[in-house]
Amino acid sequence: MPVAQKLSQLINEIDATIHNRFAGKTFWIKAEITDVKKYADKRWCFLKFIEKDGNVITTEIKGVFWSNTYYQVENFEKETQQLFASGLEITCSVRVRFHKRFGLDLEVLAIDYAYAIGKMEIERKQTLERLVKENAGIQLLSDGNFSTDNNRLDLPTVFQKIALVTAPNSDGQRDFKEVIEKNKYGYSFYVKEFLTQVQGDAAATLIMQQLENIKLAKAVFDVVVIVRGGGSDTDFKSFNTFDLANFVASFPIPVLTGIGHDRNTSIVDLMARQHKTPTEVATFIIDNNMSFEQDLLQLKERFFTGVKSLLDTAQNKLTYISRIIKSSSPKTILNKGFAIILRNNAIITDPQQIGVNDEVQAILKDEVLHTTVYKKETNETYNDF
Amino acid sequence: MKPIMTFDKAFSELEKIVGQIEDENIQLDTLADKVKDANELIKYCETRLRAISEDIEKEKINNG
Repeated sequence: MPVAQKLSQLINEIDATIHNRFAGKTFWIKAEITDVKKYADKRWCFLKFIEKDGNVITTEIKGVFWSNTYYQVENFEKETQQLFASGLEITCSVRVRFHKRFGLDLEVLAIDYAYAIGKMEIERKQTLERLVKENAGIQLLSDGNFSTDNNRLDLPTVFQKIALVTAPNSDGQRDFKEVIEKNKYGYSFYVKEFLTQVQGDAAATLIMQQLENIKLAKAVFDVVVIVRGGGSDTDFKSFNTFDLANFVASFPIPVLTGIGHDRNTSIVDLMARQHKTPTEVATFIIDNNMSFEQDLLQLKERFFTGVKSLLDTAQNKLTYISRIIKSSSPKTILNKGFAIILRNNAIITDPQQIGVNDEVQAILKDEVLHTTVYKKETNETYNDF
Repeated sequence: MKPIMTFDKAFSELEKIVGQIEDENIQLDTLADKVKDANELIKYCETRLRAISEDIEKEKINNG
């Protein structure tokens, strides 16, 4: 009959062996993480480290962040602008721990953000290269920006019908609508919401479905606005996916993004027209309409100036003509000391018509002289008036 | 139903009228009409900037 020892004796021996080998030592490992469970209230994070051969998991161990290192998870999300979530490959420093009841795990002490960022940069570069290669409408410009079918579309003169892609009850949705609805110029807008989640693995597909719905909608939208709030949930992974970026690049209605991050530009931003925040997109829309109205008022001003100038010109012409008429009237002439000569009640303009001994009337300003011509001679004396 | 005029169309109509006025070759007889047209275009744009609901209703009817 075998001699059995108590479980605790064996476990104690395992514990002692592990302790001897690993106590006080830390190790850097590189591994994929999965089954990530965050308990933000307690500031714990449980996960599994795995290694795969193809799709088969060949190595697996539990991992944990305790409250004293939980900030590493938060910093990771802040630095890389992606959620600390299953599927990531990370490099981190760990300590081997053994608990007599809960077994073996790796306590994570620090994450190497630079590794994660570097890896993301490479993926981003590859995605951008693939977009240029596979979508003929996308060109890389010399300034590092991208020209796409979408961001080459003309913006409308006035924005009024807006398709808003947003997460329900989100900060981004609230900020955007607040600026739009309370604009001080009183412009009116029709905003139709296309609600979707904007982060997580399914987000890219769901956003594309909503864009498809916008295309099929009866109302013809002037613009599509994609917004999300900033804040701590900084997962932009879906906005860096090839499929969504490619879809946006070819979308037939101009897309304005305000996806709430101030340091990084997502690939979707590059394919559309980027504004940093939902508030900025809304302000851009209002300013655009205001600019139209200003042009309109300028035109109105020009119109009335033109009309006034036309009327003034006409008035001046009238005044001029009436002055000429007035100055050539007989009354004006008489006032100046000239006389009108009548014979047989007809005005005489040719002196040849008058002979000596003819009776003529000389009409002056206030009186008429009835006279008989007693002498005629050529006017040589009074020609120098 | 009166179709909805675009802002671009209204603006270019107005520009045309302003052009004619500034050209000064216009018949004064037609000035009153031009003023009326211009005022209507300006009012149309100003109103539409601030009241879109009517357009949406029209569109729904036209498309539906």
